[in-house]
Amino acid sequence: MEQFFDRLSEKLYQSVIYDNRWKMYLEGLSLTLQIAVVAVIIGVVLGIAVAMVKTSAQGSKNPILRFFNVICTAYTTVIRGTPQMIQLLILYGISAIPNGVIACFIGFGINSGAYVSETFRSGIQSVDGGQMEAARSLGLTRWQAMTSVVLPQAVKNVLPAIFNEFIMLIKDTSIAGYIAVNDLTKNTNSIRGRTYDSTSLFIAAGIYLILTYILTQILKRLERRFRKSDRN
Amino acid sequence: MIEISGLTKRYGDHVVLNNVSEHIRPGEKVAVIGPSGSGKSTLLRCLNLLETPDGGKITFDGTEITDPRCDVNEVRRHMGMVFQHFNLFNNLTILRNITLAPVKLKIKSEEDAKKDALALLARIGLSDKADTYPAMLSGGQKQRVAIVRALAMNPKVMLFDEPTSALDPEMVGEVLDLIREVAREGMTMVIVTHEMGFAREVASRVVFVDEGNIKETGSPRDVFDSPQDARLREFLSKVI
Repeated sequence: MEQFFDRLSEKLYQSVIYDNRWKMYLEGLSLTLQIAVVAVIIGVVLGIAVAMVKTSAQGSKNPILRFFNVICTAYTTVIRGTPQMIQLLILYGISAIPNGVIACFIGFGINSGAYVSETFRSGIQSVDGGQMEAARSLGLTRWQAMTSVVLPQAVKNVLPAIFNEFIMLIKDTSIAGYIAVNDLTKNTNSIRGRTYDSTSLFIAAGIYLILTYILTQILKRLERRFRKSDRN
Repeated sequence: MIEISGLTKRYGDHVVLNNVSEHIRPGEKVAVIGPSGSGKSTLLRCLNLLETPDGGKITFDGTEITDPRCDVNEVRRHMGMVFQHFNLFNNLTILRNITLAPVKLKIKSEEDAKKDALALLARIGLSDKADTYPAMLSGGQKQRVAIVRALAMNPKVMLFDEPTSALDPEMVGEVLDLIREVAREGMTMVIVTHEMGFAREVASRVVFVDEGNIKETGSPRDVFDSPQDARLREFLSKVI
C-alpha cells in the first residue's frame, strides 16, 4: 500500500510539478478556451445568417435569396457530412492559413456554424407566424420584422442550446493538436511523452470534466431562469 | 377607397375565393360575415397582401396594389390590421409594441412616437402597463393594445380579422367598445366577425361570404331582417 502511494506521488510529481509542467496544462487550457470561445462566436454569426437565409428562402421566388439558399445548403451538407478533423487538416494544409491557432478559430467556427444554423432555424420556426405577420402588416420590411421581432425571440429560445454547443466545443477542440496547436490535449500528450506515463492524461481528463460539469450546472440554472420568465 | 375586382385565391386545388368583386367606400364600416371556411378571412388578408391573390385586381386609394411593381410595405403603412390572436410582439414592452413601426419606418421621431403611444394607452386606460410585456396582459387588454398599435400609424383603413373570437366572453365587451369608438370617429373599417349583434349595430354595410363568393350585401337591416339568399337565411337561422 505504502509502495503504491509512493509511486503515485512520484508520478504526480513528474506530471505536474517537475520542470513547471503545471504551466503547460494552464497554457493549454487557456488556448482550448480561446478556441472554443472564438469558434462559438463565429459559429453563432454564421449560424444566424444561414438560418435567416434558409427560413426566408422557404417558398420565396426571389432569385438572389434562392442562390444564397443553395450556397447555404451546400455549406451545411458538406460540413456536416465530412469529419471535422479532415476539414481542419485541409484548412491548415492549403497553407492559406499557416497559423494553426487562427486555422482552429476559423475551422471550428465554420464547423460549429453548420450545426448551430439548424438550431437557429428551429428557433426561428418556433416563433409564432403571427409575430412576423403583425410586423409586416404595419409596413415593416421582412428584414426589419426579422431583426426586431422574430430573431430576438428565436435567440432567447435557443440560448441554452448555444451554451451547450460551447460546452461540446471545449471537448471537440481536443483535435487541434493535429495541426500543431498546443491546446490542453496536445500539451498533456507532450508531458506524457516526456514522463513515459499516462498520469497526465488522467489530469487532463479531470480538467475537461470539471470544466464541462461546472458549465453544465450553469446551463441548467440558466434554463430554469428562462422557464420561469416564460411562465408569467 | 378599396376596389376589388375578380379576386381569386386558391390553395392547391381548393378555390378559397372565386372571382370576388367589391367596392369599399371611404368611411364605410363593412362587416364580413359567413360560415367558417367560407373565405372571409382570406378575403380580408388579401386586402393588405398578407395573402397573395392568384387572380384579379385590388386598388387602394388609386394605387393598384396587386401590381407586382407596387411597394407592398408602403401600402401596408396605411392599412391597420387587427388579428384574432392579437399578435403583440412578445419581446417588446407595450410601449415599444406601439412605437416600433412608426420609429423604424421614420414616420415619427422616437419622442413623438412615445408621446403618441402614451396618449393612446391613456385613452384605453392602460397607461400603467406601458413598461410591461404582453405576457402580463389579459386577452382583452392585449387586443386593445393591438388596436391602438395599428392606430398609431394613422391608417386610412382598419382591417379586423375576427377581433373577439379568441377572447374570454367577459372580455369581448371592452374590445367591441373600442372598435365602436374608432368607428364613430369616421374610420373606414372592414371587420370579419361572428358577433352578429355587433355587426348589425356598427356596420354601415354587411357582406355575406359563402363558398368563396359574396352571396349577398346590403344594409344591416336588409341582410339580417329580410335576407334574400337561401344560404344566408340558413346561416342566420343557425347563428342568431
